[in-house]
Amino acid sequence: MLPDVYSAVAIAEIALAAPLLVRLAVGPSICDRVVALNAVSTQATLTLLFFAAFAQRTIYLDVGLWLSSFSYLGTLIWARYLERGLL
Amino acid sequence: MTAALVIAAAGVGFFFSLSGVVGILRMPDVYCRIQCSSKTITMGALPVLLALVIGEGPFSVYGSRALLVCGLLLVVNPAASHALARAAYKIGIPMWRGAVEDQPKEQWLAEHK
Repeated sequence: MLPDVYSAVAIAEIALAAPLLVRLAVGPSICDRVVALNAVSTQATLTLLFFAAFAQRTIYLDVGLWLSSFSYLGTLIWARYLERGLL
Repeated sequence: MTAALVIAAAGVGFFFSLSGVVGILRMPDVYCRIQCSSKTITMGALPVLLALVIGEGPFSVYGSRALLVCGLLLVVNPAASHALARAAYKIGIPMWRGAVEDQPKEQWLAEHK
């Protein structure tokens, strides 16, 4: 019962990332694209955690953890670069 | 019982994630989109992660990692959204034409009259 729920949640979350890719492609300014990328990486983190619980593979947990922390760093670096340029 | 709780929490999270995605697609300018994105993460990702914690138990391998990601998102996401909105304002991305308030600009005009 529970593995079915986990797989359903993983598929639903990664399906939600598809419309965000549209915003990532057409976003008029660069900040729109960064916002969409941040949301996509959050959805990917959730999908990875639920897929790890579904497949009983602990290696995917580390992938999800690193993805969440480094997507934050990516957003912050983009914001800093837009605000002050290189350096 | 556990399965029902997991389904309920994941359903709440999925609903808020869906509304946030629709907001990111449909909102008129970048500031509204940033607001929708941070709601997606706070109200959408946390119940989904709580579903994993309920299903596996808070001290199991999966539940403890889910709690860790929960705390990380809670600390980190407002900071990232704030930095992004600040950068968007500083590089001069225009607001929606129906926007009614621009406080930093009014303050600047009052100081440099």
